[in-house]
This record gives sequence, structure tokens and C-alpha cells, in this order.
Amino acid sequence: MKLRFWGVRGSFAMSGREFLRYGGNTTSIELLTDAGQRLLIDLGTGATELAKQLMAGEFGKGQGTLPILLSHTHLDHIQGLPFFTPFFIKGNEIRILGAAPRPGISLEATLQNQLDPHYSPLNGLENLAAGVTIETVTPGQPIALPGFEVVTAAVPHGSMRTTAYRITADGKTVAFLSDVEYPSIDSPLPEALALAHEADLLIHDAMHADDDYDLRKGWGHSPARAGVVVAERAGAKMLALFHHSPDATDDMIDEVVDRTAARTRVPVMAAAEGNYLDI
Amino acid sequence: MQITFWGVRGSYPVPGAATVRYGGQTSCVETRTASGDTLIVDAGTGMRALGNKLFREAPAPQHYHVLLSHVHWDHIQGLPFFSPAYVPGTKISIYTLLTAADELHQVIGGITRHEFFPMPLEAVPAAFEFHQVEPGVEFDINGFHITPIALNHPFGSVGYRIDGDGATWAYVADTAPFTEVLHKQHFLPGPEPLSDDDKLALAAMREALVRRLAGVDTVVYDTHFLPDEYAKFPHYGHSTPDQAIEICAEAHARRLVLYHHAPSHGDDQMDRIAAEYLKQGEKHDLEVLTSFEGMTLPIGPEAA
Repeated sequence: MKLRFWGVRGSFAMSGREFLRYGGNTTSIELLTDAGQRLLIDLGTGATELAKQLMAGEFGKGQGTLPILLSHTHLDHIQGLPFFTPFFIKGNEIRILGAAPRPGISLEATLQNQLDPHYSPLNGLENLAAGVTIETVTPGQPIALPGFEVVTAAVPHGSMRTTAYRITADGKTVAFLSDVEYPSIDSPLPEALALAHEADLLIHDAMHADDDYDLRKGWGHSPARAGVVVAERAGAKMLALFHHSPDATDDMIDEVVDRTAARTRVPVMAAAEGNYLDI
Repeated sequence: MQITFWGVRGSYPVPGAATVRYGGQTSCVETRTASGDTLIVDAGTGMRALGNKLFREAPAPQHYHVLLSHVHWDHIQGLPFFSPAYVPGTKISIYTLLTAADELHQVIGGITRHEFFPMPLEAVPAAFEFHQVEPGVEFDINGFHITPIALNHPFGSVGYRIDGDGATWAYVADTAPFTEVLHKQHFLPGPEPLSDDDKLALAAMREALVRRLAGVDTVVYDTHFLPDEYAKFPHYGHSTPDQAIEICAEAHARRLVLYHHAPSHGDDQMDRIAAEYLKQGEKHDLEVLTSFEGMTLPIGPEAA
């Protein structure tokens, strides 16, 4: 399995020289099996860059199929949707899977609100030319996707819950735990540990530098060390710090990685836009 | 009076190596009189950096005035990230074109509904006030005199002529030209045939725009597309620099600033666009500049 980060930034897309090495796009991750099956996590602005690559292939001809897992519907995780060009080509089949944002508000209604004519000239999901299905995920229930086995769990994110994913393909496992804050950093939730159990790569929310965390407790995001605790207890083989703060410049992220790596035996990297990684 | 560009991009923010010089953030312009009165025009993602600057300049609560051209995401997405909004005592007055003030509250509040953002509008410490504007109905905010101008864009959009310090500039975004497509309140999969009424409506809109821009010093104009791109997407609601030059030359404006750059136009292409249209403008006695993030322009006679 291969993985590429197309967007690693939390909350807000950051342009400018200080954000070039890790990248300023909001969250989007592509997973590819050895047989070429594809899966996307989240539709932040990073997805618009992936879209260009997809359009050069079968998606440009209306022959593409793609499942997309959403962690949740905060804007930084869906703001690329109206600009994800494969949606505009008839014949493409795109599935959007995610949990209902809260009781009484469906995923479909939420995405319709995003494309409400006040906010978007697309004026509703029905105007996307591709075949689009919206599928409600029940966190805790597994999902079978072509080439991928997916385990899901609900985790706390401020006043809401996000969906975390454990994705296995080609005998390798990636755990995705972003936009999460545990009641206690030192005792992560059992759901999180189960999801990350012996994962080849754990992608974890690291919005806050450890020093800043006390000021930002309760905002729904983790400091870097929360990912370390999960990785160590779950026996994950590699930790990727993810969902970088919009205030974190490349140099600041370098420092966070150095400090985090110095206190654990688990290899640590900061997620960065760029190349395909072999899992 | 002067203007400063905090976001010049259209549609969505574009980080990366290709946008470091012109900037990747979406629509937001700050204008200031010599005595320090300030207006914010559009609340795209550029508004985050503007808010941080305003807060550094004046940490005490202020009353901010924000003119919105319309409420598409790229023109409002910065609002929840405007740091002064989180200072108790701050007041934020928002002006835009909608059918009812209630609707405006609901639409702006909808940006931060629970599904989209962690903090709802009601919980934000700043007090918000909503004002509906109508094309042609002039009003004053501090030292500014403002004239809203109807534009041609899906679901409606409004430009602003802004007079202050005896000088004038205008914000003309987002708008399509006034020829092929009349934007209304429904989805357009492509250009629709124009009825005679549509043609009259377009002509009236164009005539009013040219009239309002008469003698304006600086016109900031939606020039999202190059001509070949426009030809493919005439129903997307955006103009080309050529169309902007035509309007500005007819209005005898002094200067045109290209704005709302397409996300796909990287810095090198923007350099070529800037050079090409500077030359085109000279033929019409019009100074054509290309906006970039951080650009500040003095408006009016003091610029000479």
C-alpha cells in the first residue's frame, strides 16, 4: 500500500514561503493498494491538487471510481468538495462516506448546506455531474471497500465526535486519528488504542505544540505527545504528526518533530505534502 | 485614502510554491482614510491575516465594518478566523445584498453552524450587526461614502464605489460581463438563451456600472479568467482583463487593478498576465496593475 498526504494543515489553508516544506493545504490523504485501488480521506483543499492528477487519468474520461471517507464535516475537511473536479465529469462514480455530524442532521443535509445557493453556485449535490452517493457510516461498524478493510470508531473532538479509521490493505495497516482530544492525554481512550494497535503508520492529530496545549485544552485537538502515548501503548510502528496548526511554520514543525522524536523510540515524522510513501 | 490587498485569489485558497509572490488567500481588501477610518471589503481567507494585524495595532475592542460583495464561500470564509471577533466588546457590522436582514443573519450564522465550525456565531464574543444594501442606495460609514452597484453573478453580487478623503475607488467583484449570460437564482449548467428582457437587464446593469465608475481613480475588478478560459466557462460568473479594460476605459477610470485570480494561475503566469495587460491598458490610457497579497495603493490625487 502507498499513501500520499495532499493536505496536512488544520483549520485554515496557509499560503506563503514559511509553509512550503510541510504544505499549507487542509486535510486530504490518498491511499493506493498495490493493485491500484484508491481511497481518499477528507476533502480539504489538498484534494483540489489530487484532482488535477486524477483528471489526467480515467476521471477525466468519466471512468473513475473513488470512495472518500470523511472524518467529520468541519469546513477544513470538506472545503475542497466544490472544487474537486472529478465531481464535474459525468460517468465518474464517487462515494462519500461519513458519520452524521450530530443526531438529527444527516451527512447529506450537511453537504447540501455547504452547496446551498447562497454559498456556492453549484446549488446542491444534485448538480454534480458525476454519480455521487452519500453513505452514512455508523462508527464502530466496519466498512468493506474494494481493496480496503476499514474499521471505524467515534472519538471526541470538542463538542462533537469525529470518525477515526483503521485501514488495512496489502497486509499493511494505517490508523487515522485526526481531530481528536482525549479527556486525558496520558490515558488515551481504548477505542483509539484498538484502532492504532500495531499499525504500520499512525496518523495523529498534533495541532498544538506541547507547550501551547494548556492554553488550548478543550478546543478538540491534541498536542504532539498525545500521538506518542497512543503510538507507544498501541505498538504502532511509525507516528506521523498531522493537522498542523496554521500558525506552525516549517521551522516550528521541525522543532516539534525533533522534540517529539527525542522522547520516544517510535519513529516520528511530521506529515508533509509531497511524495507517495510506501507503507 | 489607501487600499491594501489581503487576499487576491478567487474560488479557494491555494497554498504552495506557485503562489508565494501573488498570494494564495481569497478575496479581502482593507481601505483606510488619512484619519484612520477603516473599511474591510469581503471576508475571504485573507481576512485572517488582516485580523491579526488589526489586533496587533489596536488590541482594545473596535467597531469594524465589513462590506460583502456576496456570500459565496471564498468571500466569507475568513470571518470565523478574524481574531478581533473573539475580543469581548468588539462590534462587527456586516453589509451585503440579501433580501432580508433576517436572512443575512441566518446565512452568516450558517457559516459557523455546529457541523462546520466549533463555535456558533451566538457564542462569538463580538456583537454582530447586519445591514442589507441595495444597488444605487448610497450610505455613509464614518469617513466613507458608499454606493452599491449591481453585478452579474450567480445568486446576485454587488460592487461598491467608495469615496473618501476626496478620492474614489471601486470594488467590482464578482461579476461576469454583461453580454452572454444573465445570472439569476438557479444553477446554470451552461449559457442559456437570453430573452429580450434579459438583454435589457444586462444593458441596464452595464450602463449603471459604467456610470458609477465614471472618473473613479482605481477600479479593483474580477478578472478571474483569461479569454480562452472564459470561452469555456462563460456561465461561471467571472470576467477577463479585456472585459474589465473595456468597462474602465469607457468610464474614464484612471487605473484598473486585476483581482480574483484563478486558482490555477501560478506566479509565473501572473507575471505574464501583468506585463501583457499593462501594455493593453496603455492603448486605452488606463494604468493596469495586477494585485498581489500585501500590495498597498494610495488612491487619488495624492498618488500623483
